[in-house]
Amino acid sequence: MALFATILIPLLGGIILAFFPAHRGREIKVFAILLSVATLILSIVLFAAYDYSAGGFQFRESFKWLDHPMNITFSLGMDGISAPMVLLTGIVMFAATLIAWNIQHRPKDFLVLLMMLVAGVFGTFVSLDLFFLFFFYELAVLPMFLLIGVWGSSSDFGTFFRSKEYGAMKLTLYLVAGSVLVWVAIMAMFWASYQAGTPTFSLEELRSVEFNDSYKHFQNLFFPLVMVGFGVLAGLWPFHTWSPDGHVAAPTSVSMLHAGVLMKLGAYGIIRVGLELMPEGAETWLPVLVGLGAVNVFYGAVSAMSQTDLKYVVGYSSVSHMGYVLIGIATLDRLGMGGAVLQMFSHGIMTALFFALVGAIYDRAHVRDVGVLEGLAKRMPMTAAFFAVAGLASLGLPGLSGFVAEFLVFVGAFKTYLPVAVIGVIGAAITAVYILRLLAKVFFGPIRPEWEHLTDASRVELGAAALLAFVLLFVGVWPLPLMDVINAGVIEIPGILGSG
Amino acid sequence: MDLTQLAWLIPAFSFIAFFLVVFLGKFLPGRGVWISILAIGGGFVVFWVVLVGFLGADCPMAFGQATCGFSMEWFTAGDVELSWGIIVDPLSVVMLGMVTLVGLMIQVYSLGYMKGDPRLGWYFAVHSLFIASMLALVLADNFLLLYVVWELVGLCSYLLIGFWYERRSASEAAKKAFITTRIGDVGLLIGILLLFDQTGTFSMSGTFEAATAGQIGQGTLTLAALLIFLGAMGKSAQFPLHVWLPDAMEGPTPVSALIHAATMVAAGVFLVARAFPIFEAAPDALTVVAVIGLITALIAASQALVATDLKRILAYSTVSHLGLMMLSLGAFGYTAAIFHLVAHGFSKAVLFLGAGSVMHSMDEETDIRKMGGLRKVMPVTALTFTIGALSLAGAPLLAGFWSKDEVLLAVLDHKNYLLAFALIAAFLSALYMARALFVVFYGKLKDENQHVHESPWVMTGPMVLLAVPAAVVGFIALRVTDTGGFGTFLYFNKAHAFEFSYPLGIASALLALGALWLGWMAYGKGSTLLDPLKARLGGLNRIIENKYYLDDLYQWTIDRIILLVAKVVALFDRIVVNDTGVDGPAKGVRWSGGIIRYHVTGRMYNYALGMVIGGIFVALFWWLLTTR
Amino acid sequence: MSLEFFQVLSVALFSIGLYGVLARRSSVLILMSIELMLNAVNINLIAAAAFLDSAFVGQIIAIFVITVAAAEVGLALAIILQLARNKSTVNVDEVDLMKW
Repeated sequence: MALFATILIPLLGGIILAFFPAHRGREIKVFAILLSVATLILSIVLFAAYDYSAGGFQFRESFKWLDHPMNITFSLGMDGISAPMVLLTGIVMFAATLIAWNIQHRPKDFLVLLMMLVAGVFGTFVSLDLFFLFFFYELAVLPMFLLIGVWGSSSDFGTFFRSKEYGAMKLTLYLVAGSVLVWVAIMAMFWASYQAGTPTFSLEELRSVEFNDSYKHFQNLFFPLVMVGFGVLAGLWPFHTWSPDGHVAAPTSVSMLHAGVLMKLGAYGIIRVGLELMPEGAETWLPVLVGLGAVNVFYGAVSAMSQTDLKYVVGYSSVSHMGYVLIGIATLDRLGMGGAVLQMFSHGIMTALFFALVGAIYDRAHVRDVGVLEGLAKRMPMTAAFFAVAGLASLGLPGLSGFVAEFLVFVGAFKTYLPVAVIGVIGAAITAVYILRLLAKVFFGPIRPEWEHLTDASRVELGAAALLAFVLLFVGVWPLPLMDVINAGVIEIPGILGSG
Repeated sequence: MDLTQLAWLIPAFSFIAFFLVVFLGKFLPGRGVWISILAIGGGFVVFWVVLVGFLGADCPMAFGQATCGFSMEWFTAGDVELSWGIIVDPLSVVMLGMVTLVGLMIQVYSLGYMKGDPRLGWYFAVHSLFIASMLALVLADNFLLLYVVWELVGLCSYLLIGFWYERRSASEAAKKAFITTRIGDVGLLIGILLLFDQTGTFSMSGTFEAATAGQIGQGTLTLAALLIFLGAMGKSAQFPLHVWLPDAMEGPTPVSALIHAATMVAAGVFLVARAFPIFEAAPDALTVVAVIGLITALIAASQALVATDLKRILAYSTVSHLGLMMLSLGAFGYTAAIFHLVAHGFSKAVLFLGAGSVMHSMDEETDIRKMGGLRKVMPVTALTFTIGALSLAGAPLLAGFWSKDEVLLAVLDHKNYLLAFALIAAFLSALYMARALFVVFYGKLKDENQHVHESPWVMTGPMVLLAVPAAVVGFIALRVTDTGGFGTFLYFNKAHAFEFSYPLGIASALLALGALWLGWMAYGKGSTLLDPLKARLGGLNRIIENKYYLDDLYQWTIDRIILLVAKVVALFDRIVVNDTGVDGPAKGVRWSGGIIRYHVTGRMYNYALGMVIGGIFVALFWWLLTTR
Repeated sequence: MSLEFFQVLSVALFSIGLYGVLARRSSVLILMSIELMLNAVNINLIAAAAFLDSAFVGQIIAIFVITVAAAEVGLALAIILQLARNKSTVNVDEVDLMKW
């Protein structure tokens, strides 16, 4: 029941939360934090209890949901790829709920939706049945619309305007459009299994289904749907623009979950549904993915360099970093793939930290314009310190988790796609340029007189930031526990290279 | 028990000190700075243990050198195991000794220099991390670990150069240092990946074996060597990536001393020395190293001659000497380069601490035109500074003389067509040292400087202690007993005892003394000897004073090209990808909806007519279908 | 009497009704025309049932149609009544509320 509980705690908790009287803001927030603590502990325990030497899916549970001829089962399981994701979700959710302490406007509704979202994310990561994977995927996407549309903020950039409704609408339409593609591919796979006489939605059974001769053709046809459909969520270029705009509109804790966890759903989907079910189609299409990933890395980094809004900078840096994940996946190499999964984890923690701090600054200064913020370190030293940690992780400083992940991706890519690896390394250098420029501009130098009144981030915010920074450091210094689990998962991806 | 295995303790002490001071410093008396000093002091003690252990140990040989070490798993990715591990060989032992000693002295000195700073704890913590990273760099037994600590060294330099981050110039200098060295690091990382791709291992010994055994293609090997050298160019401030080092003077002066003497810039030279088997197998790359080193030496020396900021003069002098070390490495002068690294390290540490002492008493003044005759009020500083300056200038019998001679000898042996330039660089380095020395400490004491006083003993003590090796460390090269000198301790493949080439030695001694005399005539007496020369070479002078316009070129490139490209890409993203590619279809749908909605007239008879026409069409269709 | 007579009658009635629906402006008259069309269909159904089928299916449907028509008339008259009250007209060409 442990895996089911990861879904049930936020889901039922959210429903219970809905019955709280709306004016008891404090109790509501405390209850939500308790829920997230429970989930965090559960996810840590699950991760720790995962036996990587045995590998495969563990903590399985399965209920029949719809019988023949559909054969849909509600089955859950966690392997080496989903285990770090579950842990990531637990950590980011906890931090985001802490940050949500600042929400004043209808906190109850906000937290209920947040819990639904998290339940959906957990469900997607642990589902072993395509039907439910898709179901939870949609459950994770849809609350975003309300969370951004109601609690978001509109921004006027002088030359253009981004309303929160625009951000919310774009994000939802994009993700739903992506999921349509995915759904088509899922139906096609089900139909193929139906024709083969073994109708199923189960991820594992679909792997072993005997398909007819045109299967290769089938895979070449449907893999790109999965790749692009989930790729939209992972910020695949040129379907990335929903992400920065979504961040700019979203409230802090939603940005954290959005960049920290939701974008990972996309990359996870590509691995789980794309690579594992259609390895031959993947072989045909991965060169395209690696190319797009390289574009992501470079284009995102260069775009981030000239952004003036803190959230845009972080948003585009997310696009850039997700590019490493895509490259790593596309290498189909054990090192590269392991690096990709680690990068998903590391980037999730890192961006969550970024957004928490940007939110802390925005709450106090009410601007996010890099041109106006100057010398904040004097008044917000801890914020500056944590921002520097996130920034250094982002530019791939050894000792923080980003380095290990990016390094593995480079090693993996170097074997098969040398120019891409070189672009990746250069992209990391560009990241250094814009992150350091940002740090120097916003935090260092003499403070502007109008910021003299600012106060440092609150204890709750610093607590969340400290947790995230600690994880970054821990994984950077001692990646062994995480890598052992990831290796166990990566090794079972069909067609993976470099297994010896 | 093998005492060399204890070497890992040396960086570990300082790493632990970093965490202790950062997290617990607030609760400790004196903000825990003594932990930091204790750690590096402990490291210095362990160094002696390791040295004794190393001399007595029976280590396996690699490239003619006894090499101990161990390695343990860090993590495994796929089927590749990544490890931590250390190498204890003469190279790392020498570096350990120098880094711990200089680091210890500078930390003690900092107690006085940084007294009363509100972020004292943070300063010492990062200082510890800096030294720890450098020590780990020296000990690293695989390229991955080396890259990790290499970047940490860069980070610490960033943090320390930008220590007074409220100053715009400091934060800019820190940024510049990090980004410039990072450009080199891109090369280093690609080089490491390239070697890994060829050999399947990150371990240095494995890579070197493959390189010498010819398992790697010559072209690839040369490329890898050049890429690694790119990393060294960034860290060791070689032309054209040297621009960050003079700006790095924005940090507190002890930090400059640390960067210049023991840690940061030495890392590049060390890296080339460490990866020497690769360079040796790729002679073309070595030629590049030599030429770059020479260009750096000459350019930096010329800039040192015109700079008016005391710290910048020293900074350019460092760049120039690093160029000489690279030149030496490029000329197969492995021993000479490390020897010069050590001699230069001690001398430069003394010089920077002296400069810091001057600044400390003169309210952070660094303009040498406002100084003069300071030896009357700061005797100890003046004496130690003089020793350091003369040593670097190559005055006979001081450390710098012996090491520079070795370098020149290596050049003569292997790259003799560069010897003339090397001699010019040596001459210039004596000239600018004379300028700094005589203008600041000799001549007439200015009236407004009468209040200047000698620094406290916590500052002068380390200076004196460092001046001693700066003066005498050269003698380790000499064959004292039958055991031979430095050249039989640290060498590459083939031991060679100290050689002294009399013609060259006398030539370089005359050159140094001549330059010092010229400097005395030109600067010491306040004579106008150089004024007509300056006037005659006005154009050249201007070019040099503007740092050969390199900074301007880089700034222009960043402002006009890179940022412009970034703006264009960002605009492309918003206008083409977003507003056209994404909002375009959305607007298209809305627009066509706006058009199509006009068919909805709201008038019933239009709908009725439509229904009838539709009905007729259905009927016709049905009829056609059934009457076939 | 053959089936064709009833069918011709039905078609004639239906066409008259259709003409009325399309050509008339008064909504009450349009409603009456619709009734005409419905009854044309009823005639057709009953005739077809009487001549071809003995299971009263046509008659059943016809009764069903009558019921629905009654309900429809009630609803339509209510709408027309509201229209007359709010717009002071029952002419369909003066009303275009059914757009956007």
